[in-house]
Amino acid sequence: MQKQSAFNIHPMDQFIIDPILTGESLEWYSFTNQALWMLISLACISFVFIYGSRKHQLVPGRLQSIAELMYFFIRDMIIDIAGQEGLRYFPYIFTLFILILFGNVLGLLPYSFTYTSHIAVTGFLALSVFITVTAIGFIKNGFGFLSLFWISSAPLALRPILLIIEVISYFVRPVSHSIRLAGNMMAGHAVIKVFAGFAGALGLGAIAPIFAITAVYGLEMLVVVIQAYVFTILTCVYLNDALHPGH
Amino acid sequence: MASTSDNSAVGMPQLDFSTFPNQIFWLAVFCVVLFAIVKFFIIPRMEDIFANRRKIIDGNIAKAEEIRLRVDEIEKKIEEELQNAKSQCDEIMKTSGLNIKEQMASALEDSKVATSQLISEAEGRLKELRDGSEIAIEKISEELASDIIKKITSEKQG
Repeated sequence: MQKQSAFNIHPMDQFIIDPILTGESLEWYSFTNQALWMLISLACISFVFIYGSRKHQLVPGRLQSIAELMYFFIRDMIIDIAGQEGLRYFPYIFTLFILILFGNVLGLLPYSFTYTSHIAVTGFLALSVFITVTAIGFIKNGFGFLSLFWISSAPLALRPILLIIEVISYFVRPVSHSIRLAGNMMAGHAVIKVFAGFAGALGLGAIAPIFAITAVYGLEMLVVVIQAYVFTILTCVYLNDALHPGH
Repeated sequence: MASTSDNSAVGMPQLDFSTFPNQIFWLAVFCVVLFAIVKFFIIPRMEDIFANRRKIIDGNIAKAEEIRLRVDEIEKKIEEELQNAKSQCDEIMKTSGLNIKEQMASALEDSKVATSQLISEAEGRLKELRDGSEIAIEKISEELASDIIKKITSEKQG
């Protein structure tokens, strides 16, 4: 993957963090391609949600429909999973959703940078969710939150074993939560890049890899949206565990 | 830096921990700005649109409910009118039936009276006729008797 091959395919190059303003040196504050795409994503979000619905139309137009669709989709999801109390955390979850969704979708543009393909980003988000949810659990329920690990509906003999499993699975949550998203994003983009490399090397025979790229791209369109959805719905599930640890 | 001198990735750039502080810094900035946008622009706007829509829908529903009530009232009135008409019809039918019966009874009575009158008249005439005929028979028989007597007497004399 990293060696110069005959095909000259570098599928991982697209993930390199590049300080685009300061040249070579990467400080903690350097403006990078990743930061640029975060900015572009911010612009797109503002365009869809603020410019698109500037007229407060009763019967929404195209852009406002998109905005409303996303907004009420997440809202209903929180109510369905975490109940009415979950609605208090709607701004956080909605922020998370559009951050990931726009990052994923914009990442599909050629020459773009997918900030959600970086484990640092998804890990940060997943850890924030983990810490916030755990804090909410303890603040809302006190030590009653620990009943999440003590399955009272299971036979007494099994409960200590389940306790161990539950505790482990609880602490693995941020890992699976972040790697699922970053892995999906990275794999899809790398696959597209590999096929693109084939296409570049094959000349006229490139029709096959181009066809494959088209297919994979279609699949990726699905995956990026589903992964944003999965990340958000898992956040809701964790939030529900914190709000109602009893069941 | 994740890249070598010819700008090609070594392994996974995702696992180059030297970029983490930078990534997390920008992500944190991004998150805060995005959260502010969501909290202060997107949510108020969406809720406003939604509340407006809700208000109009609720208003229409209330109006529809009002109209439904009015329709119910009108229906009730129609039902009442129908009931009234029905009872009136029954009344008319009953009274007209009685009238017919009365008329028929009186007509029957009239005809009975008329017949009995006719009968008695006819009886009277019959009696008269009978009386008349009795007298006539007597007269004839008297004449006949005198005639016979005359004949007999004349024959005896003759």
